[in-house]
Amino acid sequence: MDQDIETLRDEYLNQDFDEKSFDIDPDTTIEYARLCGETANRFLDKNDPDFQASPTFIASLSGGRSLPKGFPRFGIGMDAGKGVECFSPIKPGQAILGRTHLHDIYTKTGRSGRMVFTVSRIEFFDQAGTHLANADSRIVMREKAK
Amino acid sequence: MSISSISEVEFGVDLPVFEPDTSLETASKFATLVGWGGARFTDHEAARKEGLPGAMVPGILSQGYLVAMIHNWAPSAEVKSIDTVFRAAVIADEKHQITGVVTDINEDDKLVEIDITVANEKGETRVFGTASVQIP
Repeated sequence: MDQDIETLRDEYLNQDFDEKSFDIDPDTTIEYARLCGETANRFLDKNDPDFQASPTFIASLSGGRSLPKGFPRFGIGMDAGKGVECFSPIKPGQAILGRTHLHDIYTKTGRSGRMVFTVSRIEFFDQAGTHLANADSRIVMREKAK
Repeated sequence: MSISSISEVEFGVDLPVFEPDTSLETASKFATLVGWGGARFTDHEAARKEGLPGAMVPGILSQGYLVAMIHNWAPSAEVKSIDTVFRAAVIADEKHQITGVVTDINEDDKLVEIDITVANEKGETRVFGTASVQIP
């Protein structure tokens, strides 16, 4: 691994840099699920005993910032992908807390030069502190030619 | 065929092909719902002015289609994780198909791994990913 990336990993990985509360609105999660093409009542009917947000709903929640203060900008960031891990269903009608940290930094080198990837992870917790889910955002920055 | 038990899942089986609603109207409503109401998701002409081939379907909507496809196949499946790579833009108002294949079955933990792809009418992959789901 390149030395500058090693240094960034040592400096920035696994340190929370943002915290934000999200109100999970039932009407919003229902519309989200409907537009995705879900048909199950547990995602669409507030009166269903197992009513919950669709698993990827948390991928739509953004923290106050996506990278830590002072993190270098290698180039314009592009959305390279999303990941979600679900530990417990997100129940609409509650507030959940999201804490963000940098989960990974790595590079790939192609014909056009080096690309730097960052993975920002938001960990979501309910009010009892139960870890409900993680949402990862993968950003790729094509390094400016030197 | 709808799956209700892990015992019905076969290694290597293709999931039923799913045709998501990639209309501009849906992409636009979704983008507005999640607070991404920019022109690139709501207006073909404005998107072209930004250098895009047309208005795009938000990446997280494509991810949502993948999960809906899994629930269409196995209604009681619980998604434990899904990782998606946005390889190229999904253009609104163009037809796309989602295909999936079972790549691993862990009967002890009742977990099934599925590789999933969103492709356009030319067969070009736009989004791909892997999901791990628990089926009773």
